[in-house]
Amino acid sequence: MMRLQRCTECTAVQYPPREVCGTCLSDRLAWDTTDAFPARVVARTRLHHSNEQDFRSRLPFTVGLVKFDAGPVAVCFLSATAAPGDRVQVCFNADAKLEAV
Amino acid sequence: MIARSYDGVALCCPVTEPYVRRSEHGAAWFLARVLRRLLDASGVAKSEVDGLCASSFTLHPDTSVAFTQYVGLSPRVVEWLPMGGACGVIALRRAARAVQAGDAEIVACIAGDTANETSFRHLLANFSTFARDAVYPYGAGGPNASFALIADAYMRATGATREDFGKLAVAQRANAQRNPLALLRNELTMEQYLDARPIAEPLHLFDCVMPCAGADGFLVMSETRARRLGLHVVRILGAIERHNAFPDDPVQLRGGWDMDRDALWMQAGIGPRDVQVVETYDDYPIISMLQFEGLGLCPPGAGPEFVRRNDFTVDGSLPHNTGGGQLSMGQAGAAGGYLGVVEAMRQVLHQAEGRQVAQACHALVSGFGMINYDRGLCSSAAVLART
Repeated sequence: MMRLQRCTECTAVQYPPREVCGTCLSDRLAWDTTDAFPARVVARTRLHHSNEQDFRSRLPFTVGLVKFDAGPVAVCFLSATAAPGDRVQVCFNADAKLEAV
Repeated sequence: MIARSYDGVALCCPVTEPYVRRSEHGAAWFLARVLRRLLDASGVAKSEVDGLCASSFTLHPDTSVAFTQYVGLSPRVVEWLPMGGACGVIALRRAARAVQAGDAEIVACIAGDTANETSFRHLLANFSTFARDAVYPYGAGGPNASFALIADAYMRATGATREDFGKLAVAQRANAQRNPLALLRNELTMEQYLDARPIAEPLHLFDCVMPCAGADGFLVMSETRARRLGLHVVRILGAIERHNAFPDDPVQLRGGWDMDRDALWMQAGIGPRDVQVVETYDDYPIISMLQFEGLGLCPPGAGPEFVRRNDFTVDGSLPHNTGGGQLSMGQAGAAGGYLGVVEAMRQVLHQAEGRQVAQACHALVSGFGMINYDRGLCSSAAVLART
């Protein structure tokens, strides 16, 4: 399951998670949980270099910046064919973590 | 509201502890060496330094406070400015206001870092809470990946090409060939730039800076004091900073300069056409283009056209990053945020030796730092002039 943080006072959705709402500073935050959140691809890069050994065997792979319909943007792994402007579903994958397909 | 002027404040003695690819020394050694260079260049005694602005990534866990004990300073004002590429201009702003207010008489502004096999990776993995939690786990591309996303969006939005980025990198390398302090002085051709291996598309090898060790610094004091010491003086005509500008932009195609450039030029009393030297923060050429746009050298989105119609070498139509910039000098951590300031000072003081811009009288220097999550949060800029 994938979850995004939502403020129960002002309803703003935020990512990355934090202990207070970045909009109204309330600390009454809840989680929206679902299989996948709809988003749009903003930008992409194909990585040919990584600073961590664990990732190097998988190079090259694609990383993107996506904007959730709910508001915030996230850096995530992107399917090789997803291009800026495309609609995607962003899900949590325990291995690859945030993944947009 | 227009901020008070910086009248009566002098910037003096741009100094550099030469950059090296790697070092056994710690960050404190680099900061101490550059402080010693400031004392030697000015004739000021260490006990007369009563203000300190310092920036460093690898001094951790220490800050400027610990550094006072390390080198035996007893300042009345201490600033710790962890603003990365924006820290040089921010240091001169903090120091100038302290001098104007009488809180300090002589402020040493210094930035420096060491570099070794593990320092860079450690810095990236722990750069910020958001980066550690929500960026680094997605491929550990570091700033290359983050700026690749910005470059990708910028190219789609403006029609910028790799040749446009390459033109800046190639011109800076030509400038670096005239600067003995630059680490990268081999000729770079457009063909080599374009044929370089990809790092994080659309960024390739020569879009990226080489991490290194080194330090830069300058002194800030009253003009009266500087004259008494017989020092050559640079004046601050205007200076701005902004943090976390335009937080609702989905991707960073503009920085804080876009919010404050009118205030900058109004305070300076001159316009973008009146500067003979421009020093931008070039962690990647794309970021220099955001600064050209943001500071009013060209309209928003017109960066590519601006690059195509100018020559950025020392003898060209818009001398830019005249010492080679970080792309050719190397990125000595936080000193990268000082590089443009000390180079702009040298240019207006006509101390730039083999790379002197003949007509240099006014210089624009800008800074950009701290890619905390998906964008650089700190923007700064200053207009400097010789007296």
